Amino acid sequence: MKVLVTGAGGFLGRHLVAALRARGDRVRALVRPAARLEELGWPEEVEVVRADLRAAAPLESAFDGVEVVIHLAAAVSGGEDLQFAAAVGGTERLLEAMARTPCKRVVLASSFSVYDFGRTRGTLDEDSPLHAVPELYARDGYTIAKWWQEKVARRLCERNGLALTVLRPGFIWGRGHAYLAALGQRLGRHHLVIGPCTRMPLTHVENCADAFALAAREARAAGETFNVIDGPGERIWRYLGEYQRGTGERGWRLPVPYRIAILAVRVAYATVFRSATKVPSILVPNRLESRLKPLRFENRKLRERLGWSPPLDHAACLARTYGPWR
Amino acid sequence: MKAALIGAGQIARQHLACLRTLPGVEIAAICDLSPALAEATAERFGARAWFTDHRSMLERVRPDVVHVTTPPPSHFRLALDALDAGAHVVVEKPATATLDELETLARRAAEAGRALVEDHNYVFNQAPLEIRRRVGTGELGPVVHVEVLICLDIFGPGGFADPNSPHPALRLAGGAIADFLPHLASLAHRFVGPHRSAQAVWAKRRPSLLPYDEFRAVIEAERGTASLGFSACSQPDAFWLRVYGERMQASANLFETRLTFDGPRPVPKPLRPFFSALEEGRAIRRAARRTLLRKFKGPGAYEGLWELLARTYRALATGTEVPVPLEDLLAVNRLVDALKPREVRP
Repeated sequence: MKVLVTGAGGFLGRHLVAALRARGDRVRALVRPAARLEELGWPEEVEVVRADLRAAAPLESAFDGVEVVIHLAAAVSGGEDLQFAAAVGGTERLLEAMARTPCKRVVLASSFSVYDFGRTRGTLDEDSPLHAVPELYARDGYTIAKWWQEKVARRLCERNGLALTVLRPGFIWGRGHAYLAALGQRLGRHHLVIGPCTRMPLTHVENCADAFALAAREARAAGETFNVIDGPGERIWRYLGEYQRGTGERGWRLPVPYRIAILAVRVAYATVFRSATKVPSILVPNRLESRLKPLRFENRKLRERLGWSPPLDHAACLARTYGPWR
Repeated sequence: MKAALIGAGQIARQHLACLRTLPGVEIAAICDLSPALAEATAERFGARAWFTDHRSMLERVRPDVVHVTTPPPSHFRLALDALDAGAHVVVEKPATATLDELETLARRAAEAGRALVEDHNYVFNQAPLEIRRRVGTGELGPVVHVEVLICLDIFGPGGFADPNSPHPALRLAGGAIADFLPHLASLAHRFVGPHRSAQAVWAKRRPSLLPYDEFRAVIEAERGTASLGFSACSQPDAFWLRVYGERMQASANLFETRLTFDGPRPVPKPLRPFFSALEEGRAIRRAARRTLLRKFKGPGAYEGLWELLARTYRALATGTEVPVPLEDLLAVNRLVDALKPREVRP
């Protein structure tokens, strides 16, 4: 099977190329025009197409002979407009081009950030509420971009008769990307750990890549949406401890119960910042919730419908992330 | 009044955030080539309709004012269509890629009896307005010289020098710096009037996609002289405006709220520097607090855009002169044209 991977030069993309090749799939990798391939160490069998999905250039030839597209390309940093242009504008261009080719199957990398953690009670799964308009626009640029990306993908796939699978990974971690927004707030080299016993929706990048490779191959995945997490998740306190041991970074972990933090932020927001329009994320109640609200997380649908289980257990993930470079 | 906007990128959000606060202004429609961006922007700012084709928007919505906030090379065509549809036009800087295009637009606006306003936002920031007020009262004395220097790191990823998606402004003569010439020229023009002669130096210090990263110019104008500059290499980011009067000097950083004045004082001459320094220190401390508070609320360094739009809509509603009259717009752009590099680097 031949798979087109967009965002193939990114953190998840590189591991996905490896996971697909391990399953025996042929890979065409879409990377940015200025991407440095030598760092990726791909063998010659990996076909490379250079394009930036923000630019209006014809993309149809990238789909030649391709059976499935895995669409990862987005901007995870930069301003709100850059993120929207990359994730949403890029998806519009990609799927409009795809509609003019025989390729009919696409797997989209969405995100946990599309869920409204504030309205979710108990367990977060695929049926949990998504952000609603206009509340969505009080969120950060990444959330707005990913929410719109999913909406646009569903709309264009329906209109053009494309089969869409949406995967929503939790926090993706791995070598070089182990410090996560869910860890709380850095204060110099120390850490304010908000809700130290909260479990985080984690997926190690190699496990996540394996789930994407499986979803691309499984016809049963078409038309479905799956959360991608490895399991119930590590507690923040323990994960941060492993991070500090693994990286050799020193600093105190200062625990603050979640209820106290959210109460303090709500009070500050209702008084000091009432009329403010620009406040750091950690001081905005609904943004704090979507990073840190203690919920239970489920990957039952992915396990039961596709028979997926993460190939690496937590000890193996730690070794891959912090151990000697293989 | 019905406002419509073409081009829903970064600067558009500043226009729309301001329009939402103006009394008697309705955001009637948003137009962008990306349907999702047009729809999301309309939803976010309460616009009734969204379009991907500007002509059908002009026809169906019949806006009173059209804001053109697309990349610069497309301004001319869009502004012309908006004027032809009977709308006033507020166009982002640089209004057009060439002076010829701007003259065509200005002629069309005058014939149609419509306003054409270029966004000279920094002219309407609090600091330049205060300096002009003091020039008006005679406190500064006649202006001898004005100095404007922007230091801004434009090499960063996702900016002008993004190798993956080259910025449209790179197609202008002068490259990315040309995007900033209207700021420099409009401030110089406000304080010393239309230029008579200009000498510019364009240079490149670092390897990058930018054709130039340093620019300096000296200008002789009707009421005084000016020196203008843009530095992509000097850090930290700053936007210095210094106005030298015959009695007093003013200094402002328009990226912050810092504004200080230095002038005559009723103390013995040897003590003047001492008291001046104390007063300047106090003014800078006050400005530091204001700059911090400004980060939490409102338009920040875009305060001038909000002021310019408020004044523009007031003028259009009452039929009085807009804050950037056509004559000033042309004079500023003649200076911009005189500053552009003559040889075009690949």
